[in-house]
Amino acid sequence: MYLGVDIGSTTSKAVILDREGQVVGREIIDIGTGTDGPKQAVEGALKQAGLRRTEIRKCVATGYGRLLFGDADKQITEISCHAKGVSYLVPEASTIIDIGGQDAKVIRLNDRGKVDNFVMNEKCAAGTGRFLEVMARVLGCKLEELSDLADRGKDGVAISSICTVFAESEMISQLSEGQARADVALGAHRSIAKRISGLANRIDVKPSVVMTGGAALNHNLVQAVADELHIDIISLEDPQAMGALGAAVFARELDK
Amino acid sequence: MNPEVQKQIEQLKGIAENPKKAVNDYIAATGKKAVGCFPIYTPEELVYAAGALPVGMWGGRRTGSLADKYLQSFCCSIMKANTEQSLAGDYDMLSAVIVTTYCDTLKCVTENWKIAVPHLNIIPIVYPQNRKQKSGQIFFAEELQRVKGKLEEVLGADIADADVEAALNVYEEYRKTMQMFTEVIRDYPKTFDAVTRHLVIKAAYYMDKKEYTEIIKAMMAELRKVPAEDASGMKKVILTGLIAEPVEMLELFTENEMYVVADDLAQESRQFRVSAPAEGSCYERMAARLAAQDGCTFLYDYGKTRSQRLFDMKKQYNADAIIFCQLKFCDPDEFDYPIVKKDMETFDIPMLYLEFEQQMESVGQLRTRIQSFAEMMD
Amino acid sequence: METKKTSKQLLGEIQDRHYADAMKAKEEGKLVAWATSISPQELLTTMDIYTVYPENHAAAIGARKCAQPFIDYSEGNGYSTDICSYARVNLAYMEIMESEAANIPKPDLIFCCNNICNTVLKWYENISKELDIPMIVFDLPFNHEYEITDQNTKYIKAQLLEAIDQLEEITGKKFDYDKFKEVMDISIETSIWWKKAAMQAQAIPSPLNGFDLFNYMAIIVCARGTKEGRDLFKLWYEELKAKAEAGIGPWKSGEEEYRVMWDGIACWPHLSDTYKTLKKYGINMVTSTYPDSWYIVYESNDLDGMARAYSSNYVNRNLDFGVDNIVKLVEDYKLDGIVFHSNRSCKLMDFRQFEVQRRVEERTGIPSVIFDGDQTDPRAFSLAQYETRVQALLEMMESRKKEGK
Repeated sequence: MYLGVDIGSTTSKAVILDREGQVVGREIIDIGTGTDGPKQAVEGALKQAGLRRTEIRKCVATGYGRLLFGDADKQITEISCHAKGVSYLVPEASTIIDIGGQDAKVIRLNDRGKVDNFVMNEKCAAGTGRFLEVMARVLGCKLEELSDLADRGKDGVAISSICTVFAESEMISQLSEGQARADVALGAHRSIAKRISGLANRIDVKPSVVMTGGAALNHNLVQAVADELHIDIISLEDPQAMGALGAAVFARELDK
Repeated sequence: MNPEVQKQIEQLKGIAENPKKAVNDYIAATGKKAVGCFPIYTPEELVYAAGALPVGMWGGRRTGSLADKYLQSFCCSIMKANTEQSLAGDYDMLSAVIVTTYCDTLKCVTENWKIAVPHLNIIPIVYPQNRKQKSGQIFFAEELQRVKGKLEEVLGADIADADVEAALNVYEEYRKTMQMFTEVIRDYPKTFDAVTRHLVIKAAYYMDKKEYTEIIKAMMAELRKVPAEDASGMKKVILTGLIAEPVEMLELFTENEMYVVADDLAQESRQFRVSAPAEGSCYERMAARLAAQDGCTFLYDYGKTRSQRLFDMKKQYNADAIIFCQLKFCDPDEFDYPIVKKDMETFDIPMLYLEFEQQMESVGQLRTRIQSFAEMMD
Repeated sequence: METKKTSKQLLGEIQDRHYADAMKAKEEGKLVAWATSISPQELLTTMDIYTVYPENHAAAIGARKCAQPFIDYSEGNGYSTDICSYARVNLAYMEIMESEAANIPKPDLIFCCNNICNTVLKWYENISKELDIPMIVFDLPFNHEYEITDQNTKYIKAQLLEAIDQLEEITGKKFDYDKFKEVMDISIETSIWWKKAAMQAQAIPSPLNGFDLFNYMAIIVCARGTKEGRDLFKLWYEELKAKAEAGIGPWKSGEEEYRVMWDGIACWPHLSDTYKTLKKYGINMVTSTYPDSWYIVYESNDLDGMARAYSSNYVNRNLDFGVDNIVKLVEDYKLDGIVFHSNRSCKLMDFRQFEVQRRVEERTGIPSVIFDGDQTDPRAFSLAQYETRVQALLEMMESRKKEGK
């Protein structure tokens, strides 16, 4: 049994693979590094798999909090782990777009599924999960409700500011001018899509393109990114767990 | 490693890590004055000729809000730190500061400092961008003499041309020695890891160049007795950019089994990789040396030679990768990056782009980038 | 009988012709140059080299709200959001070569004069490398002393002479010094009419709506050495003088209540919004540092004078000079306040703004505000912030008026 743990800034994820490489356990906890989120995630995955910790042969940790996780045999960056996880499920994947809580990354894979190049944006909140949180607060809904809300939008109200603080004030202005919440949500998604596409263009996006991270659950946002890049994006069932899956695959490889 | 070498390394590291203390100690011990010298290139020789200690001013650790009085947030962290430090009194031991105008930010800092810290006796110097043209060399020679005059006023000293000549020779010896030293230490990647290499080179900014050169020469003599260190499994990188700090970032290279086989950094090798010709007056020699300085983003780069230089360095040192050290908000490097990126892709040379500020609370994000890059190279 | 054209009409025509003639020149196999906005165009005009100005072009693209795709393209190539947006637009245009706003042909050589900033050196270095064309550099040392020194003047003059040699080599033609004198005469006259026209805004109310300064600026940049340019500014001066004498204000509707200086270039993508917000409150921009920056006046044939004149623009001078300059504008134009555009693209203007603001306020007592914007990047501006700041300025000016200041 092989355990992969992905400890981000806002979430902790754990995935367990069996000898044959099948997923037997998986857990996501909504608290990240510095909390007992990682511990809870591991416990949850073990419970689902019906295993004890001692039955895990190898463990790999990834994510921002990987160095603090004392229980791993190896720590590998989330860039490599996302690449590993995605190419494990989607061998033809060439580009991964990951929108995390605090950063956004675009990873290019070569034809062997290995990382060829990557670009990251961490300095600025625009285009990250943080902006989605700000959006949800301004629009008075939960993060999970943003996609449906934006789907009801007819005319995305353009939000042009490059700065999250300015963009927030733009959204508030538009709402106070009577714009529909759905239209503002749609416009904000398009703004994020523009930021992401700006990042992606630095690296030459090639099909097949996969989106990972919590934001990938937001179908409206995924479509906005696809529209902006003029390329299809393959949906994953479990985009948040890709890092942990990749870590688990690495763990399994350690045992060979 | 040889205990003599180790001792000298510790001495130099101590100085580089505590510039304020090093300069104050020097002043106390020698009774000499000290003059600050801004990036990128300043005529330290003139300060030396005046019998004062030239002190490099490449930013520092200090953050705060004093600099906000003059500079918006999108100013490079070196100038922010310099301004913060000057307003906090960290530079009060200096008798004067020579400020420069290589970029738009420096021009503004020059003007702001005249009002913000007049007690530091600000002496602006303008380096010509048309430095290869005869008129540019004449301008520079005149500029050097003008600044020499200002130094004489402020320091109450008389600087004869013979003094400048002697100082230039001290600096030429320093440069020649450093050119050799950076070659020699390639064979000792464990002792001269990224952090140590940087600090040993940086110490020169806070020491009498003659004394510093003796120490480097002594180290090289000792190193001749030491067999080369085993570098198997380690990756050779070349750093290019203005500066590669904070040291916490450099530690990440070591953490990922990388060592710096050579550098193209303004703060380091660009200071000493070009020697002055032997002919001409001291001012002509200094102007000619400036004219020969190529591939630096802060000096008009005729034919944009930076990429070619990196390609040649990569071949010469059999390096594995280039690290583009982008100090956030440094416009000149931000203009060079896309060109260098394209050229490195054409040459098929792996390059990692690192964007950082000189004062960083945590290097977690840099760690991810550097580690990912290392994993990519595996 | 043909009705006489207004300067506004001529302005549009000259601009359109400028771009059309450039494309035509290229098609006919004539040499085309790209030059920075305050460069010694006299040399190029004398050599009959058709010159276009990337900054003007980028501004036009920004004003037409077409800048974003070019910016995205450059950022996709790795250019940082941090650098000058004129450069980001132009370096993308250089590859795309097509824009709704206007088209300029690819250059055969470039003229780079860093009196406006050192950013242009890096920008033009890249153009030169990417297009593999000659670059002529005018290095105009930053004037950290109050006056322009003989040492600086000597260096600049030598570069002018060197440039003439380079142009002779590139064109294979001899430099016609007689034509040079003609071009110098015209250029000097044009500058004089430009400033005289701008000075009509000293009348109260000002017959000039200052945002027009931004529009006419395009011509002082691109047609300074031409008879059309000279005649345009002379006409504009006459129109404004007539209006001033008749006591006519800047707008057809609404009175000029307050007079301000706008520091920095326009927010081209948000020109309309920035203008309307001021007009709503009766605030008229009556001046800026630009009239003086294009007052490139010297004695014809005096190359030392020419060198000094080109080195004299606002951003190439020290802070003492700059502040004195603005204080004089406050006095001459009877200003009530100042709007400082903290232009994300222009560090040379921005990193002196705080100190300039303090000193001008100290010496004149007039209030001012700073707002965040950008010359061509539409994303770096918040109308809400701008409106708040302008309203704050209004309130300060209002209260001073009540106190009889």
